[in-house]
Amino acid sequence: MIFENTKCECGHQNPVGTVLCESCGKPLENTESSEPLEMRYDGAARRSQKANPSLLDKVWNFFSSVKIAVYLIFFTLLASSLGTIFPQESTFLNMDPSTFYKAEYGTLGEIYYKLGLSHTYESWWFILLLFMIGTSLVICSLDRVLPLYKALSKQQIRKHLSFINRQRAGLIQTMPFSEEDGEAQEWVNKLGKQLRKQRFRVHTEGAALLAEKNRFSRWGPYILHIGLIIFLLAVVMRSIPGWHMDKHMGFLEGVPVKIPDTSYYLKNEQFTVDYYKPEEMSEEFREKNRSVAKLYETQAVLYRCTDRCDDDDPVLEEVHRQKIEVNKPLDYKGLLAYQFDFQETPTILSMDPKVRNLKTGEAFGPIHLNMNNPAQSYDAGPYHLELKGYFKDFGMDDKGQPITQSNSPNAPAFIFQVTGPDLPAQGSVFMYFPRQIDQQNFRQDAINGELAKTLAISVDSMDDVQIAAYTSYLNIRMDRAMPFIWVGSAIGMIGLVMTFYWQHRRIWLRLDGRELSLGAHTNKNWYGLRREIATSLTKIGMPIEQKALDKGGTNG
Amino acid sequence: MGRNRKWIQICILLAVVILGGWTIASSVLDKTEIPKVGSKAPEFTLTGLDGKTHQLSDYKGKTVVVNFWATYCPPCREEMPDIQKQAAKWADKDVVVLGVNVAESKVTAKNFVDQLGVTFPILLDSKDKIRREYGVLNYPTTVFVKPDGKIAVIKEGLMDEAYLDRTIASVAAAGNGNK
Repeated sequence: MIFENTKCECGHQNPVGTVLCESCGKPLENTESSEPLEMRYDGAARRSQKANPSLLDKVWNFFSSVKIAVYLIFFTLLASSLGTIFPQESTFLNMDPSTFYKAEYGTLGEIYYKLGLSHTYESWWFILLLFMIGTSLVICSLDRVLPLYKALSKQQIRKHLSFINRQRAGLIQTMPFSEEDGEAQEWVNKLGKQLRKQRFRVHTEGAALLAEKNRFSRWGPYILHIGLIIFLLAVVMRSIPGWHMDKHMGFLEGVPVKIPDTSYYLKNEQFTVDYYKPEEMSEEFREKNRSVAKLYETQAVLYRCTDRCDDDDPVLEEVHRQKIEVNKPLDYKGLLAYQFDFQETPTILSMDPKVRNLKTGEAFGPIHLNMNNPAQSYDAGPYHLELKGYFKDFGMDDKGQPITQSNSPNAPAFIFQVTGPDLPAQGSVFMYFPRQIDQQNFRQDAINGELAKTLAISVDSMDDVQIAAYTSYLNIRMDRAMPFIWVGSAIGMIGLVMTFYWQHRRIWLRLDGRELSLGAHTNKNWYGLRREIATSLTKIGMPIEQKALDKGGTNG
Repeated sequence: MGRNRKWIQICILLAVVILGGWTIASSVLDKTEIPKVGSKAPEFTLTGLDGKTHQLSDYKGKTVVVNFWATYCPPCREEMPDIQKQAAKWADKDVVVLGVNVAESKVTAKNFVDQLGVTFPILLDSKDKIRREYGVLNYPTTVFVKPDGKIAVIKEGLMDEAYLDRTIASVAAAGNGNK
């Protein structure tokens, strides 16, 4: 192994990989050239540059490389765009992706599915790419920002002559005084004063000068990186259960529905759809004879479950109540519910009929019958009813057996074992159809026979029947990561503004005998820097054109 | 200083590996994959019509036939007596039949099984949760679970007695062979 001597002629021991001596600024590479210097990171070595890297260092170096970062970003970009060719799996509600893509988009679709591009953004390799970008951001930044900080916070005022003369802006001139003269000191002080007026910070050491402004702009990229890392982490946090949701759910009037992965229940108390009256519509619309909706409104109540949340009868506590209209979502602690659609679904939810003794004319009760989940037994005055059978959608099969035809209470039927006055001790069976039409169709009285003459179950009026007319479809959204995304974006923006709207400008100057050497560096807007120098020099009686300070260079 | 730097490197890389591993793992595992033949039958704990709690793992070491049904499904009704006969036939041969009623009230389910004279345990999936976990879309669907807890057969649709007998025999035999 060749031992690399990294000691500068000024006596400073530099780390491996240093381009410009940390102390005096003497170029350590391409020493013969007179081309403008590469000033990146002030010539400091990146932290990871080591003589013999260990495995850990090698991993570190991999992520520290900007070239690798560019590749990572390129591949992520490529994958992201490929993911947009066909709709992603998550955009469909009910489908089998293994057959859907082929049927819908042909062979290309099948290849697309087989390559796993139909779920690009959830795939492990895409997330891995994002993570590698994140890691690269952190490591690239750390690897450069710390040496840069060190380099900038202990700058030598008197720089090596070749450092000053190889800057892209500057001049060499013979002065009428020598560096030891008092005049020289005075001249440097005058220049310093002028530069201070341009808001430079000026440091002098004998006849050497360092003027610097807007150093903070150098931290802009790293602040942008911090913002991006927060942004990426926020995106990752969305996969924590309960942090991110985007679901479409149906809410039948009057029935609280659990919002998955949360302790919330949402109830649609009433849904209203209002149409424009013919006289409110324009001529054009009237001719088309179409009904145009004016208002979709869901009266929503949000509950929080406090107990027995997994049971059929959770304990709910009202936390929020709000009207939901199109573009006016329910908003409660980051839970958003947008009006999405509606459907007319006339359904009996429950009813409160009375048990009537037809002989005496007495009515007892009411009893509460829930059509979705009826209770086992009921008491109405002297009567006791035991539920023996319940059919949500009553019908008969071909053998004449009673069956349920669907899971919606379209034709509910109750079979009770009733005990009470004038009834046998073991009770009598009584069949009850809540809907009038079913009572006739299925001939309730004939089924109940003799009992129908002494016992009846019926409501006083339609007020005792709870009916849901509509199902309101809401888009339930939750994104707890959003505040972090905003914070990350804001920090990133601050970093961008710092980087783009200010420039770190530095001017070095030294006298060697009668020879004045001036060099200046900025990361951009060289014109501005040259003008500032020219103005200052002109003001102290050394008129010079800003162009004269341009020593050329490759860019900018 | 050098030691410190190394520790910082280790900490950062470790944090990235943990965070990244966790996210990727959760994104891969989170996909509530619908169980397929050969995968492990998802565990469930449900209350039966008998009032007792039944757990799939209670029957570990036995062949379990899980039948998803609803009262409003005519083929469920048709096959139920055949399942009952087979349940009785295999009862003493380490085969358990479980009926899972999906999202109906207890009364409705009880009425139905009483009518048909079913005696094997009927469990109530009142929250419609187990059905979703098993990815059952049509009724009836019957899942045959091997004694080692892995799914052997998923049958969608009507089954007759011969099919049941044949399938149970082959699943039970395969399970015993593995022992």
